[in-house]
Amino acid sequence: MLPASLDEAVDALAAAPAAVPVAGATDLMEAVNAGRLRPAALIGLGRITELRGWRYEDGGTAVLGAGLTHARMDRPDFAALIPALADAARTAGPPQVRNVGTLGGNIVTAAPAGDTLPVLAALEATVTLARAGATREVPVSHLLTGLDPVRPGELLTWVRVPLLHAPQVFLKATGRSGPARATASVALVLDPARRAVRCAVGAVAPVPLRPLEAEAWVAGCIDWDGSREIDPAATAAFGEYVAAACVPDGYGAEGAWEAVTEGPSAASVRLRRTVSVLARRALGRALK
Amino acid sequence: MSTDPIETLDADPLGLAPQVSRELRPCASYTLRVNGFERPVTDAWIGESLLYVLRERLGLAGAKDGCEQGECGACSVQVDGQLVAGCLVPAALAADSEINTVEGLSAAGGASDVQQALAESGAVQCGYCTPGMAMAVHDLLQRNHRPTEVEARQALCGNLCRCTGYRGVLAAVQSIADARALEAEEAEEAALAEETAAAAAEQPVEQPGAAPAEPPVEEPVAEPPVYTDAWIEHVPQPPAEEIPATVGTGHGLPYGADGQGGYDTGVYDTAVIPPVQGIPAQAAEDQVYFPQQGYPEQPYQATPAHGTYLPPGAGYPDGYPQQPGYDGGYDAPVYEPTPAHGTPVHGAAFDGTPAHGTPYVPTPPHGVPAEGSAPAGVPYGATPAHGIRLPEDDHAS
Ligand SMILES: Cc1cc2nc3c(=O)[nH]c(=O)nc-3n(C[C@H](O)[C@H](O)[C@H](O)COP(=O)(O)OP(=O)(O)OC[C@H]3O[C@@H](n4cnc5c(N)ncnc54)[C@H](O)[C@@H]3O)c2cc1C
Ligand code: FES
Ligand code: FES
Repeated sequence: MLPASLDEAVDALAAAPAAVPVAGATDLMEAVNAGRLRPAALIGLGRITELRGWRYEDGGTAVLGAGLTHARMDRPDFAALIPALADAARTAGPPQVRNVGTLGGNIVTAAPAGDTLPVLAALEATVTLARAGATREVPVSHLLTGLDPVRPGELLTWVRVPLLHAPQVFLKATGRSGPARATASVALVLDPARRAVRCAVGAVAPVPLRPLEAEAWVAGCIDWDGSREIDPAATAAFGEYVAAACVPDGYGAEGAWEAVTEGPSAASVRLRRTVSVLARRALGRALK
Repeated sequence: MSTDPIETLDADPLGLAPQVSRELRPCASYTLRVNGFERPVTDAWIGESLLYVLRERLGLAGAKDGCEQGECGACSVQVDGQLVAGCLVPAALAADSEINTVEGLSAAGGASDVQQALAESGAVQCGYCTPGMAMAVHDLLQRNHRPTEVEARQALCGNLCRCTGYRGVLAAVQSIADARALEAEEAEEAALAEETAAAAAEQPVEQPGAAPAEPPVEEPVAEPPVYTDAWIEHVPQPPAEEIPATVGTGHGLPYGADGQGGYDTGVYDTAVIPPVQGIPAQAAEDQVYFPQQGYPEQPYQATPAHGTYLPPGAGYPDGYPQQPGYDGGYDAPVYEPTPAHGTPVHGAAFDGTPAHGTPYVPTPPHGVPAEGSAPAGVPYGATPAHGIRLPEDDHAS
């Protein structure tokens, strides 16, 4: 069924709690084709036009519809608002997938390699979940970590993102040159009003990770009032700091025991190198 | 979409079929609008993909099933004018959308310019990727009449081809864009000429813009067409040499010969198949490369009888190198080292295998244009190719 408004959709979901909401279906149909999912009924969200755009709210916040497609977020008008999210959307799969794949689907799927997730974590976005007759507001990190998951009968409707008016960078490392999922990604945003650097590392863990200490340390190294310059050595150290914070010694090793006895695994050394390069470059570009 | 009420399964009185109740396998009936025709689908499981329904229920086998995961692009179709992977669209939710498939490109029986160009530029080997590729090229050129090479690469990055590579497709994109631009220019010129002629005569002449004067005839809802293979203009071959009957028996046509002489490896040869009724076999002369038959004639001169005295430099056929006499001194040939592997001997460099010892230049990330031509603001390094910014959306400073 294809409800034309949000109210119709939440009512339909309340009437049939086993029904599966479908946005772009790029994650959903992959699971259906592979036999991992047998939907009892489908509720298509594609006709809810209000969720396919965004609006502004007082206090410098953009409210993004869950139905925004990756292709839409890649367009210049959106990219001027939230550059890092546009960069993430631009790399999220081939055109056939980005034409229909949505922001809401990316968040609800919560795949480790979901490209918008580190950006939303770095922006400290919140999401609105709606069910018949009620809505609630949840920080995206609580949703992703399972602290406060999407409940049955709820739809993700809006994503609130602060407009920071400062450089933002999203960088992603992949296993091949074409469209591919991230092996590691870094989102980094500057918040000049609070003199803060916020950074999140994606794809190295089930959820995006925030290296809070490294963020705080590097924010102190930046000359916020002047040209926002930073010593290149500090940029490099920031990369190492982020990598050490986000990739454990035992990464990729069989069990924790091995990790304790043998030092950093080869996989963790490799991944740390990737993350540190991404983080160093991201900071360098943000402060350029 | 409406889910049918649960029915009892009495089609299988012996109860041998696995008892999958309607609750576990909910079905729906709906109508798809494919290439402008209403195609009813009855009682289909709601989890069926558009690709499956097109191929198995509607008999439109143009879109191919390569992976069912959105990775290969062989199933590309347009839904509401957008290029999508047919395997990732739940068919039941595409019910009130406009669906265009590769069959629609060649609706009139003849190949569209996209299909013709793909065939001509050698972009087809096994052809499995080709319908998806044709849809992707069609979609690209609908949105962007003059794509740069980077834009073309980005648009095609979701279509994998395991045989041919992408050079032929990229060449096809440019040739179609050129041809369409030329056509548009000619049409414009013709319109302009007509206009000036009309102005000179100072007579109200029907404007070309008003040409389709008769209102568009509402086509009656017709039976959906039976699609046949698209007709690729045949590249003509010269007639075969008659093989004399005495030359032996048991010889059919040599493998790969098309019965009209020559080996046709480039284009799918429709000449050996009776042409689809109503479609004229096309024959365009003088655009054919056909290898010369036989060897060039050369006067044969027998070796003179052994012992025949030949003075130095005499008696040899014209052009044979002059032999120095024995006392003429030994002329050591200049030593030329074996050229490095892959070095071209004559003519243009073969640009496949680089010469041995060529410094290794890593393959640039996907979509990166050749050296020096990168648009300003293109990020390097970790951001993959399809993430390259186009000049117009270079937002980040
Ligand atoms: C070939 C391929 C490559 C890909 N590459 C990438 C990549 O590089 N990076 C990346 O991040 N992702 C990638 N993806 C994954 C996918 O495209 C994205 O995660 C996309 O954003 C999913 O959105 P969707 O609208 O298609 O979600 P759907 O498939 O429609 O939905 C996914 C899940 O979310 C639920 N859902 C969707 N919308 C809502 C809502 N509003 N409220 C509640 N629940 C909802 C659905 O019920 C379903 O369970 C790729 C996918 C494919 C097939
Ligand atoms: S079959 Fe759909 S992308 Fe491969
Ligand atoms: S021609 Fe065989 S896959 Fe492209």
